[in-house]
Amino acid sequence: MIRAVIIDDERNSRDIISLMLNKYCPEIEAVASAANCKEGIEQIRKHKPQLVFLDLEMPDGTGFDVLAGAYDASFEAIFVTAFEKRFLHTIRLSEVELILKPIDKESLLQAVNAVTARILRPRRHERYDVLLSNFGKPAGEMRQLVLPAAEGDEAVVSVEDICYLEGLTEKTIFYLADGTALHSPRPFRYYTELFAAMRFFQVNNHQMVQVPHIQKIDQDEHRLWLRNKTMLEVTERRKKELAAIWKQS
Amino acid sequence: MNRLLILGLLFCCSIYPVSRAAAQDTLSLDFSRPVNGADVRSHTWAFEDHEGKVTAAEVPRLVFRPDSALFHSRKKPLNHVNNLWLRLRLRNSGPVDSLLYLFTGWHDDLAFYAANAAGQPELMMHTGLMVDRGNVERWNHYTFPLHVRAGETRTFYVHVRNSFYRENEFLPVLYDPIHYAEFRHAQTDQYKGEVLVIQMLVGMLLVLLSITIINYTQLPDRSSLYFAAYLLGLILFFTLRLELKPFQLSFFHFCPLFKFYWDIPALLFCFYFMYMLFGNMFLNLRERYPLMEKIYRYGAVLTGILIVCCIALIATGNFRAPAMIYTWTYFFTLIPFGISFIALARRTRHHPLIRFYLFGSISLYLLTIWAFLNNTEPVPFTPLPELVGPYNVLVLGVLLQALFFAAGLSYRNKLVHQEKTKTQEMLIKQLNKNKELQRKLNEQLEELVKEQTTEILRKKMELEEQRKLQLEIEYSKKLAEIELKAIRAQINPHFIFNCLNSIQLFVMQRDYEHAQKYLSDFSFLIRKTLDFSRRNFITLADEITYLNTYLGLEKMRFEQKMSYEIVTDPSIATAELEVPAMLLQPYVENAVKHGMNNEDHASGLLMIRFNLLAGDMLECMIEDNGIGIERSRALRTLPGHHQSQGMEISLNRAELLNKMYNTGIQIEIIDKSKKQANDSGTVIRVLIPQL
Repeated sequence: MIRAVIIDDERNSRDIISLMLNKYCPEIEAVASAANCKEGIEQIRKHKPQLVFLDLEMPDGTGFDVLAGAYDASFEAIFVTAFEKRFLHTIRLSEVELILKPIDKESLLQAVNAVTARILRPRRHERYDVLLSNFGKPAGEMRQLVLPAAEGDEAVVSVEDICYLEGLTEKTIFYLADGTALHSPRPFRYYTELFAAMRFFQVNNHQMVQVPHIQKIDQDEHRLWLRNKTMLEVTERRKKELAAIWKQS
Repeated sequence: MNRLLILGLLFCCSIYPVSRAAAQDTLSLDFSRPVNGADVRSHTWAFEDHEGKVTAAEVPRLVFRPDSALFHSRKKPLNHVNNLWLRLRLRNSGPVDSLLYLFTGWHDDLAFYAANAAGQPELMMHTGLMVDRGNVERWNHYTFPLHVRAGETRTFYVHVRNSFYRENEFLPVLYDPIHYAEFRHAQTDQYKGEVLVIQMLVGMLLVLLSITIINYTQLPDRSSLYFAAYLLGLILFFTLRLELKPFQLSFFHFCPLFKFYWDIPALLFCFYFMYMLFGNMFLNLRERYPLMEKIYRYGAVLTGILIVCCIALIATGNFRAPAMIYTWTYFFTLIPFGISFIALARRTRHHPLIRFYLFGSISLYLLTIWAFLNNTEPVPFTPLPELVGPYNVLVLGVLLQALFFAAGLSYRNKLVHQEKTKTQEMLIKQLNKNKELQRKLNEQLEELVKEQTTEILRKKMELEEQRKLQLEIEYSKKLAEIELKAIRAQINPHFIFNCLNSIQLFVMQRDYEHAQKYLSDFSFLIRKTLDFSRRNFITLADEITYLNTYLGLEKMRFEQKMSYEIVTDPSIATAELEVPAMLLQPYVENAVKHGMNNEDHASGLLMIRFNLLAGDMLECMIEDNGIGIERSRALRTLPGHHQSQGMEISLNRAELLNKMYNTGIQIEIIDKSKKQANDSGTVIRVLIPQL
């Protein structure tokens, strides 16, 4: 049995989560609930749950505040929100689970499955460190990224080390400054959206470059060279914009 | 030639014994018989005192000799000072004591001595043109009465000292009283004629002078001034000539030397100095003939120096040197003046004034030369008028010159006047032209200004229209944007999904009645929201229904955590009043949120009041019992806190509506704790004027 605590300021929400857990996730038992951050942290301390359903927006704070407040307790979190765009970027960079209200069965199950797998294989959950470190910063200054591995092993990557990323079918490869290549099961499109607000630039249909890593741009040949001597193609319609951005940085 | 010499020798030889024989020491005369101008040359013995040191006391010891060459019956130029002592011994051979008169001529310095019993000369009379200060009676001093008793012999001495360059007739003659009177009359008559001419001339010159001075006061012109100076010099000169005419009235007898001072210097002054200055100014030579102007100027300066020299020489008693100076000046300047006249004459055509000047100059020159050539006096050709016989010719010359100059001056004035008139006419013409030009220019300018003004006005209007258009576009764009935002933001998506969440719960709990109610309220709200967001104004009744529904849904979500109340003034015709759509909702939503966030109260209380104030002003009060706007704001500055977007939009919208419809909506946010310390919460006061 996985013990869970539900933290939400609306009673309706709390009721529905516990109802749905009862109905669809018999292995999870809702041991307690709380209506705000303060109460939530108390309940976590008291019950030491393995899983916490965290509403993002509460009268006295956000779900991240609860996470930070009860950091010493080791638990997995599933964030719940009705409509919140503001934290989406932070959540995606650190690959934590988020479900939207009204909660549908599939997304609940997917999130629960993902965390259950992690709970069963206890290890240090670096993704929450990344989450907390990125929290509250504007997108351009977020330093760390969690890459989910197909097998469930995540890798924490420093954003500034990424030279470029390449989209393949159903996966994305990250090439780092030290020469290593990391795989993410997420599609290339997922990362182009995620990195759009950062110092990345998509040079062609399947490659995205971090601008500070560019060494030279050859406009006539439609090519660019990175600092590690890698040569990449630049499409005709994107080279001008790239040159302008590169010059600025 | 030889014959001539022999003839001369013979003549001399024949003269010598005669003179010798006639040179009797004593003249015997019967005083009772008539004596009419008896020539006593042969009995008048002379001693020439060259040094001029002889005194009267030494005279008896002097050796007198008969020298008839000393005497002359006409004027004579003098090259040296003629200092003579004459001695006449007279014996009255008649039976009666009688009186005879001795006249030797009009001399510069004359002294009569009669020897007394001891043979010593006694001064009886001292007179002379240079000495005597007497008035008209002075002329009687020149004849000396000789008293010799019957049978007696008396010696008389005459001291003559002529220092002027001209010596008058020098002839010792004797008259008895009767014939002396005759002589006097003849002399008076003779000089009267000359004096008359001079007086006439002086009169004319005076007239000319006054005219010139009057002209000068009217038209200040340097040439008039010079001409006046010239005239004044001439008048003075001729007036002083009167002093030399015996038995005539004169003006300056108290200063007998004056006439000698103003003789050669006067000639130089009038006919050279002033003449050249006048010529320069009169002919405008500086502009028309600079070279001649220079020559005339230097000539005048030189003459000025000469005048000063002459006066200085006269002051030292040397009268002959000035005469020499004048003579040489005259001869030396004859040719240069002639050349200058010719040079001037060549320009007569361009300069009518030259004619007057030339006529004046030439007439005087010709007449003087003619007078000097035909001189009746036994003197060589000389320019000195004092030595010239028909004096009237010179006077005529002077008069002609003065008249020509005067005529020239008046002609010049006429020219000046003409030029002035011409200039004035031209000026007037130019002025008229200028006026015309100015008028034209003004017209053009006016037209231009008009054009420009209309152009500017047109452009301004265009600009204004453009600006208006742009503003309108901007407004409509902004409006559209805000409307869009209103749809998206005024109904908080959070609220929507939470509502759906609640409905989901009812469904899951199989509470279908509630689910139904919730769902229908929710769809009503969404429908109204979509409807209102397209409209600007809705009725107050609609707004109240909308808010009621919204608050009902919220209440369903939060249950006992909140309560609300909408109070409408019963006098308000809610179906008639209009309020801007979706203006209040964001404030209400905010109030709901704040009301529940206060830990001091178990539940949030929301009051909405609608009142109609005076002046058709609808007042909406949205009041909560939350922590108040101030504290809320302080909290919100912390990171990660929600920024109230809805309220901002609402404010924008109120502003936009005010701009577009002139509605004058006012929104006031009041923190209750500011009014009362123990109270908390926020009051939003919205004033909507009803039109």
